[in-house]
Amino acid sequence: MTPGEAGTHAVSGGGFATSAAAAALAAAAVYALAAWRLRRRGDAWPWQRDGSFAAGCLALAHAMLLPGPGGPFTAHMAHHVVTAMAAPVLLVLGRPLTLTLRSLRPGRARRGLLAVARSRPVTWLVFPPVAALLDMGGLWLLHRTPLLAAAHHRPLLDAAVQFHLLAAGLLFTFSVCRLDPVRHRWGLAVRGVTLLAAGAAHAVLAKTLYAAPPPGTAYEGADLRAGAQLMYYGGDLVECALAAVLAVEWYTRRGRAVRPRGRPRAAVVSAGGG
Amino acid sequence: MASGAAPRHGGPPPRNIPRPGRSLAVFALIGAALMAAVDEIVFHQILHWHHFFDRSTPGVGLLSDGLLHTAEVIALVAGGALYADLRRSGSLSPPHARAGFLLGLGGFQLFDGIVDHKLLRVHQIRYGVDVTPYDWAWNGAGLLLLLAGAVLAVRARRRTGGGGAGA
Repeated sequence: MTPGEAGTHAVSGGGFATSAAAAALAAAAVYALAAWRLRRRGDAWPWQRDGSFAAGCLALAHAMLLPGPGGPFTAHMAHHVVTAMAAPVLLVLGRPLTLTLRSLRPGRARRGLLAVARSRPVTWLVFPPVAALLDMGGLWLLHRTPLLAAAHHRPLLDAAVQFHLLAAGLLFTFSVCRLDPVRHRWGLAVRGVTLLAAGAAHAVLAKTLYAAPPPGTAYEGADLRAGAQLMYYGGDLVECALAAVLAVEWYTRRGRAVRPRGRPRAAVVSAGGG
Repeated sequence: MASGAAPRHGGPPPRNIPRPGRSLAVFALIGAALMAAVDEIVFHQILHWHHFFDRSTPGVGLLSDGLLHTAEVIALVAGGALYADLRRSGSLSPPHARAGFLLGLGGFQLFDGIVDHKLLRVHQIRYGVDVTPYDWAWNGAGLLLLLAGAVLAVRARRRTGGGGAGA
């Protein structure tokens, strides 16, 4: 393998990619089992969550095991869009923490998990601007310093970079969507503005990559341009999905505010529509 | 349960009462975001007049472009949710919504033509030709939309003026 063609992570970071794919598939299996047990004991757990989480795991495993489309840089970007952006949205929509807390029996394990979820460091990590900074900062570092070039030759560094991108993507998505119970419920304004800032940072990075490759790498022009556009428009789709999560939350909450609790909808309509 | 007297619980928005200001603002947001999206789809994707990246763009222009593009995506989604909420509560005022929509379309176009093209110089309408006629056409069209929106807004206000609830 020549250094120039080490673009696909399935090739360069073999060990990490395989174990990450295996972990993703295992997570899907554990999730399905937990949801099944929840339903069997009579709890309601919407099927969409199962579907979303399973799709996220499959997307992750697919991206880890199979080489991406196009040239090496395009493949790198496709990998990035799937593992750090699309898959995290699907996973977070499955509300994995809520499911775990509900599945665990009351006891030390559940208390411990809850304590971790509400601990000070986690509270700081899921503060949306901090999560965004970790995510976008890592992305800028990777593409605007010789880090990407260095990672091509060092499997361990490459694995660390990939792990960071995946973890930071998950953290950012988690903190913006805020579907699972953690300590502080940041308002829609904080999360919306964070999404706006992070989206802008992502779009600007994609645009600069169109013209200038990451330092120390030598990608072909066409490959670079295709990869940058994939990053830009792929980012749009994910941003749209995140904005939709916030919009649905706002719409639902407002609906509750309009309709007094315990009062059936039909009564409100007939009272107001006369 | 409550029959005649409308329940007055603190905070939540009124139902079935037209909200002109909100209708106008929501549709101005949708209009601006839609014009930004159309601008991008028509000139980038279909005509290929705009480049994806322009080497002469200064850093601040690049940043404003990224911010605007992201805001456009978020505003489209947010506008949709706000519109759905107006419909649900029966407080949409169509004349004001129409006026707001045109104001948003024209407002964005004029903003793009003056701030983005001329002040920040993020991009131009076309490259390699004299842009003067294009600039006049673009900004003129924006101004026309804005004026039409203003006329509709005045008419809507006259029609529903006096505080009477729209039938």
